[in-house]
Amino acid sequence: MFSKDNKKVELKDAETIIGPSIRVKGNFHGEGDIVIEGKVEGSIKTNNFLLVGEKAKIVAEVEAGNAQIGGDITGNLQIKGYLEITSSAKIIGDIECSEISIEKGAIINGKCTMIKNQTNSHKSKLEEEEEK
Amino acid sequence: MHIYIYDSFVNQKKYDATAARIETRITDLGLNGKIVRLGMMNSVDEVIENEMKKGAKTIIVVGNNTIFNKAVNAIARTTQEITLTRRIPLGFIPVGKSDNDIAGFFGMGFEEDACNTISARRIQRLDLGLANDYYFLTEATIPTNGTDIEVDQNYSIQIQEAGNIKVINFATTTKLPKNFSSSAVDQVLDLYIEKKGSGLFSRKPNEASQSIIPFKFITILNKTKPVIIDKSIQINTPVNIQIAKQKIDLIIGKGINF
Repeated sequence: MFSKDNKKVELKDAETIIGPSIRVKGNFHGEGDIVIEGKVEGSIKTNNFLLVGEKAKIVAEVEAGNAQIGGDITGNLQIKGYLEITSSAKIIGDIECSEISIEKGAIINGKCTMIKNQTNSHKSKLEEEEEK
Repeated sequence: MHIYIYDSFVNQKKYDATAARIETRITDLGLNGKIVRLGMMNSVDEVIENEMKKGAKTIIVVGNNTIFNKAVNAIARTTQEITLTRRIPLGFIPVGKSDNDIAGFFGMGFEEDACNTISARRIQRLDLGLANDYYFLTEATIPTNGTDIEVDQNYSIQIQEAGNIKVINFATTTKLPKNFSSSAVDQVLDLYIEKKGSGLFSRKPNEASQSIIPFKFITILNKTKPVIIDKSIQINTPVNIQIAKQKIDLIIGKGINF
């Protein structure tokens, strides 16, 4: 298996990478950090970090610990911790998270519900790692 | 006892001098043992099974990638069949440069240098992948064209551009993204998909076109192309791939870390 040298989440550091030429159909459940640059239909689930790139197209129910969304998602998002939506994102579906930031230009059509923080937030996770 | 198994091509006259040099070096190092030359009447599987049952201490194959993979399979299979508890390491003496790159990835050296590696006896216990009934140590590969993959019976993968699919236990020539490394000691296989380089002179994939997916069980389907394991054995699809319960004790060269 591939191992990672540091924890800061970037494309090159994820445990699972779905590249731009890949189409995934079904229940895509990963255990570590996931980067999606391709297409996914079905469901996506990870307890860790999910990065959806600008060119990604997702038609799926999405569950993650923390997430950064830059692509198209049609489906509901359930993020336990921190959700960062960047300007290129287009989300059609309901969002549930405990912390959120939305960059100017992002498109969201759906209900947004803030829930009680269930896990450490993205920021506190990084802070913890820095302390280590 | 050391058992030396010579692939049939090593019996050709043009390899006489090489074989003589190897045997002299083996004698100098005090590694003498029984020599078995493969031919029409015997196979590497039979020889290894018989010698393991008789109590061989070390199996050493002399030849190229193909006999190396066959020996890996024979040792893993026999260990399972006779529920062997003692470990029998596999050594490898590559002869000739053709179809013989696996030894380099494990730092074994060639011909006489490989004898020195066997003498040093650095033994590493390594995972094996299992593709249908065949074990592999390094990679299983197939082109992306016409290939469908089902992962962990949960989801399917379709690849929309030309490239290569590799199931990696131990990466050989694969240029992995920065900060990634492959390990053959963690009981996990990775599915690696790379798009062919798009530029006129670019044949290597860049990081943005690579996909990496750890898995427990995959099925590979392709109507026309086979899966190739350890750069030598072809297996027609459908091919089910998973990590094997069996492991191999391999004599490796210095400077190779897992």
